[in-house]
Parts: sequence; C-alpha cells; structure tokens
Amino acid sequence: MLVAWRYRKRDSLLQSFDPRAWIIFFLCFLGSTLCFWDFRYLLLFFGIALLSVFTSGIRWNEMARAWIFIMGFILFFSLLTFLTGRGGMELYGSEHSLAKLTATFTIFGWRPVLNISAEKTMYALSMLIRVFSIASMTILIPYSLNPAHYGITFRGLGLPDKIAYGMDLTMRFIPTFGRDFSLTMDAQKARGYEIEKLDGGLFAQVKKLAPLIIPVTIHAIAGSEDIIDAMDLRAFGVGPRTWLETLTYRKRDRVLIAVGVVLFLFSLALSLLGYGKFWVPAFMIP
Amino acid sequence: MKKVWSVVLSLAAVLAFFLGIWLIGRIINPSLNLDQTALLRFVFVGVGLLIVFVVYLLTKNSKMWEVGTRQVVYMAIGAALYAILSYLFNGTVFVVPSVSQVALRPAIAIPMFFGYAFGPVVGFFTGAVGNMFGDALTGFGLSPQWSIGNGLVGFVAGLAWLFTDKKKSLNVVLIVSAVLAALATVLYLVNPNTANGVFFDAANNIFGDAKISLGAGLSLVVGFVIVLLVRFIFHKNIDVAAAVTWAMLGNILGIGFAAVSDIWINGYSPVVALVGEFIPSAGPNLIFAAILVPLLVGAYASIQKQTGR
Repeated sequence: MLVAWRYRKRDSLLQSFDPRAWIIFFLCFLGSTLCFWDFRYLLLFFGIALLSVFTSGIRWNEMARAWIFIMGFILFFSLLTFLTGRGGMELYGSEHSLAKLTATFTIFGWRPVLNISAEKTMYALSMLIRVFSIASMTILIPYSLNPAHYGITFRGLGLPDKIAYGMDLTMRFIPTFGRDFSLTMDAQKARGYEIEKLDGGLFAQVKKLAPLIIPVTIHAIAGSEDIIDAMDLRAFGVGPRTWLETLTYRKRDRVLIAVGVVLFLFSLALSLLGYGKFWVPAFMIP
Repeated sequence: MKKVWSVVLSLAAVLAFFLGIWLIGRIINPSLNLDQTALLRFVFVGVGLLIVFVVYLLTKNSKMWEVGTRQVVYMAIGAALYAILSYLFNGTVFVVPSVSQVALRPAIAIPMFFGYAFGPVVGFFTGAVGNMFGDALTGFGLSPQWSIGNGLVGFVAGLAWLFTDKKKSLNVVLIVSAVLAALATVLYLVNPNTANGVFFDAANNIFGDAKISLGAGLSLVVGFVIVLLVRFIFHKNIDVAAAVTWAMLGNILGIGFAAVSDIWINGYSPVVALVGEFIPSAGPNLIFAAILVPLLVGAYASIQKQTGR
C-alpha cells in the first residue's frame, strides 16, 4: 500500500508554473545560494524563499510538522555555530569581541565562557538565513509538485525514460518505506527488541540495528516483484514511454527558466570574481 | 556516437564559459584570485560521472549494463531505502552517542548490497540519488560530490558482475583493497594528531576539532580484518565472500573519491582529507559492510529460493 506525499492542488504562485520550470529554477537557486556567504547577497535569496513560502497557499497546520522539525534543526545548528564559531574559522581571520559572558558556575572545574564576537554573530546569522532559504525551498517541493507529474517532469528535463521513471518511483517509495520502517520497529518491539539506547561498542550497535534494516530491505525487494510484473504487463521499456498528461511550456515558464539560469550564472561569475564573501557590518566592529 | 559528441561539446561549452569569466575578470581586476569552491563541487561531479562513463565505454558489451524493468524498480527501491535509512540515522531521529568517534551509518550497506546483487547501474543510482534525497530529507543541504562518491560505492560493488568467475577476481580485489587500506592507515599512524573532520562531539559542541581517536584511526584496519575473516569463513558460499570483498573495494574507492575531492573543494591538505575525513568515514562503513552485507546476501538468497526467481 502506498503512502503519499501531502500534495494538494492549490492556486498558488508556485503551482502556476510548469513543474519542470520550477525544478530548474530551484536548482539554479540552490547553486546560487551556495556561492555566497555575504549577508547582504543572501538576503535576496532569503526574500525569494519567503515569497515562495507565503504565496504557496499551503496552510500552516498542513506543513507544521515538517517546519517545526527543520526550524528546530536550523536553530540548533545556528546556536551551536554561534556558541563555538568553529565552522566559520576559515572565513574570517581575526575576531572582534563584542562581549564576553562568563558563567558564574563551573561544571567539573571548567567555567563556561561565552565569547560573543562580531564575526561569530554575523556568521551565525548568515548561516541561519542561508540554510533557511535552502530548506524552505526544498520543503515546498513535495507539497507543490503533483506526484502524478514526477515522471514526466524528469523526462521533460531531458533524462532518459528509464532514469526518469526510476526517480518517479523513488519519490513514491520514500513515504511508504518510512511507514514500513516504523511498522517493523513496532513488530520487533513486540518481540522484546530495544532500540532506545544505542550504546555499547560498535559491534553491539551493529547487532542492534540488523533486526531493523534487514527485514525492511528484504520486504521491499520481495514486494518489488509485484511492481515489476505490473510494469512488464504494461510493456514497460519496449518502446519510448508516453504519459497520460502532457506538460507544455508557457511564456511565464520560459521567463522563469531564463531568470533562474541568468541568476545562477551571474552568481557563479560574481563568486569567481571574489564578491559575496563573508562580511561583517562596520557598525558592529568596536 | 552522437551522444558522446553532445556530451563532449557541452563540457567544452562550460569550460569555455569559465575561461571567459577568468579572462575578463583578470582584465577588470589584475590581482584576481579565483574563489572556486562552489564551482569545484560541480567539477568533481563531472569527474565522477566521467569515471562511470569511461568504465562504460570500456565494458560496453558486458551484460551488466542492461537496464530493464527489474533494474528500474530495484534502483528506485534502493534509492528510497537508502534515503530513508540515511535520514533516520543522520542524528535526527536516533540521537547517536558517538562512542570512540565512529559515526553510525549502517545505511551504507544498502548501495553496497544493491550494487552487488543487481548491477552497477542500480548501485550507482541507489548511492547517488539515495544520498541526494537523504540529504534533502534531513533538510540541511545537498553535497553533490558526496552524492557521487556514494554512487561510486554502489557502482564499484556492482562491477563484480564483470567477472563471470567470481572466485578468481576475489583475490585480486582483496589485494588491491588491502594495499589501499594499508596506505591510509600508515598515513594515519604517521599523523596521529590530525583532527577528525566528520566527528561531531555533541558533549563538547565541537565539530571537527577533536583529535582523531585511536579507535577511529584504526577502524579501517579493523574493518579490513573482519572482511578477511568473513571471506574465509564463508569461502564455500561464494556469494557472501564476493559481496563482502567487492563492497569493501567500493567503499574505499567511493568514499576515497569524495574525501579526495575535498582536498580541492575545502582546501584541506591531503593528510587532513585522508586521515581526517576518509578514515573516519570509510573505516566504520567497512565494519558495517562486513557484517550487514553478508546478512543481506543470505536473506536475499533465501527469498530467491522461496519465490523461485
């Protein structure tokens, strides 16, 4: 039985475009955002991401779970980078300390010291909006792309028939296998299998995970026989594949693709020329 | 032939574009220093794909390149499984207390097994697309060259199909993997103070700062020894022995590719890339592979007997 992504047809900006155009734009957006570390440049991409999210027409409580999860993750990592500043070491040479908070307590003789510097703050902020832009655009895709269109979208992007269909099937299987995994975990738990504490040496950990991974994998492979038969009965692979729906490009799709490609090439050129690197506003440096 | 030409032409066009940027940039700004990180990721994606392409050209007539209905379904299943399992074990759902710095990535057994059981195309798709979707699900961003590296793990594991006589090829593969593993471990022993780049120490909130522990450093050797044991214990069961050996080679080459690419992309020195990234990733992977892959092969064999296919 298939579990589906939560797609619904909505009247949103995102869905008014051809899915292929949107995927191309998304990939260009991704590439461009990855080129920059400068907060000012990143704000532009952040704006685009926010615009897409707010015009997507998806109600909050539909996406809530995914969002809370991602936001928690992003905030956690930003806080971590802020507190340690480790990840940004290669981006800035020297630090200008804004404030230094020393804790009044010690933990096992080690006194926690919070070294707030201008660089760390900017780094954490830049990373926050960078990751948020990418994550939000990525989340929108399963909610806005009609699963019936996956295969034809990839085919329209120029991938060969079988690879396009492979990606279509992959996206359809992901929620199903997620569900299978929790089913297997419950079944094993009913047999006294414990997964909460994953400690012990490496070998103990492997031993603990095998009863989860092996059944899911073999179950998936065994279930695939039906799918293979169904496809063969419909003459898959015998000739070029046709789909029920056809996707046609309209003017706005061409414009979107052009904007995306130009944005990407421009960002790549700028980053090659050395612009868009890490930046700290002058007013923050004491 | 036409397809090869179009690929070559598009690569040449991309190259020309970047040469153009560089030349024009130099005219504008004489002291130009190209910052190439974002670009280099895609270059390495190209290199990885080129490797696959070259192998394809060399072995075009082998049966292993057939992509029929079965292969399409298997590659989709493999990719979806790898995506889900990576997402679950990336520290998001199962919070992993890292003991002696080895990261828990049992999911790597999936591309290895699928590559060995169903061929290099399935292996490559499973590793690459599965890794992409797994990273996308985790929500933290895609890393193209690691996706290709994971794809290569499955791809090399599938190259076992090239040899009809599995037994003969085994010893060659074992020796090659032994040499590579030994080289990496020697590098570690000479540089024991390198930081472990993939270790995230939650207790101390440090990423990539802890010195690589002895356990992590020797994990590659430990993994190799286990593979050797499995190979000889199961020498009667040729499938298990072959699967484990080819999986090991796939792991070393695939993860090695990704780690080596970081020499240029992240500016690591070769020592840091190999000791700090390759060993702590490939070593634990190998230990998982040595245990999980034989289990999968055995379970799959019994399914085959049951369903008669």
